[in-house]
Amino acid sequence: QERTVSGTVTDPSGLPLPGVNIVVKGTSNGTQSDFDGNYSISVNTGDVLVFSYVGLKPEEITVGTSNVINATLTEDTAALDEVVITALGIKREKKSLGYATQEVDGEEVSKVKSSNFVNSLSGKVAGLDIKSSGTLGGSTNVVIRGSNSISGNNQALFVIDGVPISNQNTNTSDQTLGRGGYDYGNASSDINPDDIATINVLKGAAATALYGSRGMHGAVIITTKTGKTKKGIGITISSSLMIGTADSETLPNYQDKYGAGYGAYYGTTEDQYFNDFEDITGDGVPDLTVPFTEDASYGAAFDPSLMVYQWNSIFPQLEGYREATPWVAGANDPNYVWGTSGTYVNSVGLDGSDESSSFRLGYTNMMQEGNLPNSEIKRNSITFNGSHQFTDKLTASTSFTYTKTSGKGRYGTGYDSNNVMQQFRQWWQTNVDLEAQKNAYFATRENITWNTSSGTDLSPIYSDNPYWTFYENYETDSRNRYFGNVMLDYKINDWISAMARFSYDTYTEFQEERTNVGSANVSQYSRFNNQVAEYNYDFFLNFNKDLSDKLNLDGNFGLNLRRQTWESMRAVTNGGLGIPGLYSLSNSSSPIEAPIEYDATKMVDGAFVRASLGYDNFAFIEATYRRDRSSALPKDNNSFGYYSVSGSFIFSEFIDTDWITFGKLRANYAEVGDDTGPYRVYNTYNISAPFDGSGIASNPASLNNLDLKPQRQNSYEFGLEMSFLNKRAGFDFAYYNTTTEDQIVNVPYSGATGYSSRWLNAGTIENKGLELQLYGTPIKTEDFQWNLNVNWSKNENEVIELLDGIENLQLASLQGGVSINATPGEAYGTIRGTNFIYQDGERVVGTDGYYETTDTSNEVIGNVNPDWKAGINNSFSYKNVTLSFLIDIQKGGDIFSLDTWYGYATGLYDFTAGTNDLGNPVRNPVTSGADSGGVILSGVQADGTPNTVRASATSYANPWGYARTPNAAHVYDASFVKLRELSLTYSLTPKVLEKLPFTNASLSLIGRNLWIIHKNLPYSDPEAGLSSGNIQGYQSGAYPAIREIGASLKLQF
Amino acid sequence: CMSDEQYDDLNRDPKNPTEVTADVLFTSATKSLFDQMSSTNVNDNVFKLFSQYFTQTTYIDESNYDLNGRTITDSHWLEMYSNVLYDLKDSSEKVMADAALSADEKAGRLAQIEVLSVYTWQQLVDTFGNIPYTEALDIAQFPLPKYDDAETEIYPNLITRIDAILGNFDSGEGFDSVADRIYGADMDAWKKFANSLKLRLGIRLSDVNPTLAQATVESAVSGGVFTSNADNALLDYLSATPNTNPLWVDLVESGRQDFVAANTIVDIMNDLDDPRRPLYFRENLGLGTFVGGEYGDSNSYTTNSQLGDLLHEATFAGVLMDYAEVSFYLAEAAERTYNVGGTATEFYTNGITASIEYWGGTPTDVTSYLTRTDVAYPTATGTWREKIGTQFWLAMYNRGFEGWTVWRKYDYPVLNTAVESGNPVPTRYTYPVDEQNLNGTNWDAASTAIGGDSQTTKLFWDTM
Repeated sequence: QERTVSGTVTDPSGLPLPGVNIVVKGTSNGTQSDFDGNYSISVNTGDVLVFSYVGLKPEEITVGTSNVINATLTEDTAALDEVVITALGIKREKKSLGYATQEVDGEEVSKVKSSNFVNSLSGKVAGLDIKSSGTLGGSTNVVIRGSNSISGNNQALFVIDGVPISNQNTNTSDQTLGRGGYDYGNASSDINPDDIATINVLKGAAATALYGSRGMHGAVIITTKTGKTKKGIGITISSSLMIGTADSETLPNYQDKYGAGYGAYYGTTEDQYFNDFEDITGDGVPDLTVPFTEDASYGAAFDPSLMVYQWNSIFPQLEGYREATPWVAGANDPNYVWGTSGTYVNSVGLDGSDESSSFRLGYTNMMQEGNLPNSEIKRNSITFNGSHQFTDKLTASTSFTYTKTSGKGRYGTGYDSNNVMQQFRQWWQTNVDLEAQKNAYFATRENITWNTSSGTDLSPIYSDNPYWTFYENYETDSRNRYFGNVMLDYKINDWISAMARFSYDTYTEFQEERTNVGSANVSQYSRFNNQVAEYNYDFFLNFNKDLSDKLNLDGNFGLNLRRQTWESMRAVTNGGLGIPGLYSLSNSSSPIEAPIEYDATKMVDGAFVRASLGYDNFAFIEATYRRDRSSALPKDNNSFGYYSVSGSFIFSEFIDTDWITFGKLRANYAEVGDDTGPYRVYNTYNISAPFDGSGIASNPASLNNLDLKPQRQNSYEFGLEMSFLNKRAGFDFAYYNTTTEDQIVNVPYSGATGYSSRWLNAGTIENKGLELQLYGTPIKTEDFQWNLNVNWSKNENEVIELLDGIENLQLASLQGGVSINATPGEAYGTIRGTNFIYQDGERVVGTDGYYETTDTSNEVIGNVNPDWKAGINNSFSYKNVTLSFLIDIQKGGDIFSLDTWYGYATGLYDFTAGTNDLGNPVRNPVTSGADSGGVILSGVQADGTPNTVRASATSYANPWGYARTPNAAHVYDASFVKLRELSLTYSLTPKVLEKLPFTNASLSLIGRNLWIIHKNLPYSDPEAGLSSGNIQGYQSGAYPAIREIGASLKLQF
Repeated sequence: CMSDEQYDDLNRDPKNPTEVTADVLFTSATKSLFDQMSSTNVNDNVFKLFSQYFTQTTYIDESNYDLNGRTITDSHWLEMYSNVLYDLKDSSEKVMADAALSADEKAGRLAQIEVLSVYTWQQLVDTFGNIPYTEALDIAQFPLPKYDDAETEIYPNLITRIDAILGNFDSGEGFDSVADRIYGADMDAWKKFANSLKLRLGIRLSDVNPTLAQATVESAVSGGVFTSNADNALLDYLSATPNTNPLWVDLVESGRQDFVAANTIVDIMNDLDDPRRPLYFRENLGLGTFVGGEYGDSNSYTTNSQLGDLLHEATFAGVLMDYAEVSFYLAEAAERTYNVGGTATEFYTNGITASIEYWGGTPTDVTSYLTRTDVAYPTATGTWREKIGTQFWLAMYNRGFEGWTVWRKYDYPVLNTAVESGNPVPTRYTYPVDEQNLNGTNWDAASTAIGGDSQTTKLFWDTM
């Protein structure tokens, strides 16, 4: 006979559990616990009540005589019933997944803050390759399991609460090719680390197949914090401050023995170190002057007794005008420029909830002052999450984020005079005192350069005064970004629910770049307005049904419509600025050329189905299928399907030993694909500025293709997860193999065809690799605990084929004569250039003592791919103090340094002014005697005998720099071992907290990039690069690593 | 949901045209050709260094014949094929397909296009040797175009092509003066240009195929070649970028000091007391003082003669062909007793006169120069090759490619060895690195056919 029983459901610590499903086993009679964990239900004696809650072990209790049945649900450690967010926001029990995912807690990316939270993922996820370009607010390259696309996007997809966000940057192609410009960062930096609850990295195609055409490069799924966990209103305040300084290991060491010049080429006789034909003092007699135009330090040896007219003697504005000064090294070398950066992040979060609603409101302000003068990035973000349960069946939720980022004085990049590192690393006179340059700028606010056209023509020839660059030729930018979603969930019955979601991500960018009148570059003002939007409309039907006692079916059917738009306009003045310091298009000296407009829309619609069958909680099989139609492909080929199958088997269910807690084997196979960007199908002409009224139009260099079809990727993966001794230790191992074929590539062609390239389906890349995560708690006592986490991954990458007859595809042709390439049979990203000539493994030295160099610059001299990467995270807790640190390791990978290519020739580095094996200055002339300068390069002469010829190093055409070495001499191993993060946290104990208004409080001392334990690249950070994107392995005017230390405080009320 | 057609429409770029007229393509190709030939940017054109008119000051890789560091040969190849020849081909297809054009209008336009095409093809052959020709400019059919033999295939065909359109100028109507920036729709001038180009094609063969050379030269002359500087094929550049002379961009706008006059040309001109010196070079060392930078060495911008003021003007005209060049070809033809209606002395004198006058020299300059015994044709020392070669080379200043070609053809004047590298003057450009990667099999065959893809392989007409 039916009666009502009631009770409370709690967790093991006694806290009430709301939302627990309680059903009478074998019936549809069920209810849920309320906010206080209370429930009541009609039952008959002898019924079995099943209490279930995601992530906890289900509990079955038989109804007896009592009318009160309390239940305590415990964590399901044995089965690891962890719930993770997978593709499209679908929640899954981790144990049922047949593919690799790796979770990172939000705390881990917000504790030791980086201005872009993605940088904080470095070393924390196996298979994730993070490379930050190293400039203030610069972009971060995020590649999961290697590059799959020859010339397309390889960036992982970012998804925040179901809102897909592209991580591509808007940097110009010149910027990514090292020809100058600013790195404006990429979209991931708009995500506020303080709002992140968890991050789940979906690594393989099977994991992302439901994203259809955009899941090919893996996905980073971010779930933001909600107000669900707490009753009433809670307040969290956190505040952090970090101070950064340049790591001197990543800066040049300047020599202080020789000053300006390329050698003894000056004076009326063109064989002296100084010029002697300019009258500086105005007395009609020529004076001894520095060769002002020469941006090198291969000149006269310093001699304090020698008085020379230097740059500060030729500007009438300066105090030292017409005064000679001693010939000595500058008192402050360029490293003087590096100041202290400050990054301040303050955030406040309010959250709260009642029986049917919850919300969270967060505000964060980030303010970052760069290490270089006049540079800063500011970011303000507001985020709101809310949900309300209208009825038992209908729940509505929304999230909304607004972020405004503004930048000023981002660092110039690449080979350009607006990148001060170009002069500091490549073209510099060591006699120049940088502090004096600074004072000269501030005294005059003029471009008092050390590098004038002559002693009387004071215009800069190549390099500007660096402080002029900072304060006059700076950029400003802003980005307003809005993203979020609105979602309705409707529970149709106990096993079917429906979800409708609209999500959006829109941003507007405005970038202004300036070059003032009086700079080495032609004065200029340019502006770029960019408006990007993406809208997604999703409709899902979700079902979850126990088909029998042991068989469970779980799945979804869904529709997705995506619409993306891009609108931009770039305009630039022509022929210089009329009025100095006025930055407007109307101030253009010559009429401006038409701005460059871009206007595109792309639509993709897709339908998908996913079904997962689980048997008795130990065997799972899942299949997905999705079909997409893309507007970017020709209409006959615009539809394409993807599928995946995956399975997992929890073998620990069958092993009856105490020490194995959990064991799972998983395997999957997936075929996914990708479309392409707009406007690669129909041909158009390029219109150029008219010539005096005559129209000009030309065929573009790249030919489009009416027959493009989707590119395909096949992948399979095996994995083994185990944990031991009640999860005290465990590991996750994965092997994957991914082949991407029929790639949509802009294939280069012989120029003799009339085109330099053509869009085609061509090329196959294979990526295969191993990933290993290890975790454990080696020591655990009542007061002390040591946790260890290790990630290791190795990706092998090979270009299998390109197109018949195409033997190599240049991804980029770069300054210095090197290129980054894709070649069949080689890993993607080989560096080519001129090489040494080898004989039986020895470098061949010519009769002049210099290395012989190949005639062609098409020799493979390096490869940008690392051999493996690893992260080791240790955390030691003693009572309420926790010390943790992360060591980040990369083994292998090559990098070409344009900085040493030029800088070793111009003689600014210390070793170019050292001594040789005889103890003599290397720059001394080569003689046959014991006083000889020069060096004996190791190698052999053409006849195979060891080289004994001494190479002269008296001028820039020395044995080390661009004049006399092959490119290969400047390819370095980019390996590193870094102490990436360190934190020491003190949390207030509950006893102390009782007397305070806080519910939680902690104080941390934090550090980032504290110590480069090992590296092989001299004078620079092996991680520094130009920009995110496919052009890696190249440094030009690289910025140093910034070592940051600080403190953070977190208070919860 | 939208239809496939509506989806497809999203893929049509609203900001760029799918069709343009033959006129704008012709103008674009014209400008690209002049720009490429006029430039002295070390990334595009190093012929003014190869000819040893200019040398570099501090960054001296290119004057030492490094073609790798900046992939110059790739740039030249691509520019000529893609932005000149392909646009010309497209333009001619549009002319032929245009039903609104009369037969005369088609004939005139096609003839103009053909003259610039043949000019460009010859330039490419004379730079590289064998090149893709019959299979070039057709990516659909020949994605890997084979190379054709310059001597047996391309040169004879270029002569035939010129012959085929010579008749088109008489009644033909060319592009109007808006599109024709060279002669402003003057078809008589175009005809002279076509014949002068034919003359150049013919005379280039004089050492290897005397029969074809003579026939070609003689028929060109009887058809009517340039007879004064008024006939020169020029492009008048404008004062504002991007339509200035490319020289101005590198010499003036950049604010750099990369080039000075080379000692090679300055020394020869000093010996001859050449009246063109103050026009070719600045008198920055004092009136009448001219010093050239040692070729291929590091040189001071201040203590050497800088390039002339004319070269620093944004509107300085670009030149494809001029009367001086034609005159020197005729001088050679006369030496070879071809029937060209004059003597070597007359043509030689015309060439020098045309050059001095074009650069702004006075009649007195001309007279006094020509009366010098080391200049006057009958009394100057050396073979006709030396005499014509030297004066021809002096007249081609600022036309680096022609100057370099004069040296290759006549072996005079004697050029210097580049100081820093010690390398000899190249006799051709190496093929683009891209060809090794993108057209490897054909590149390999061509390299073998010409005797190796080296800077010092001689072209087929360069036998002396």
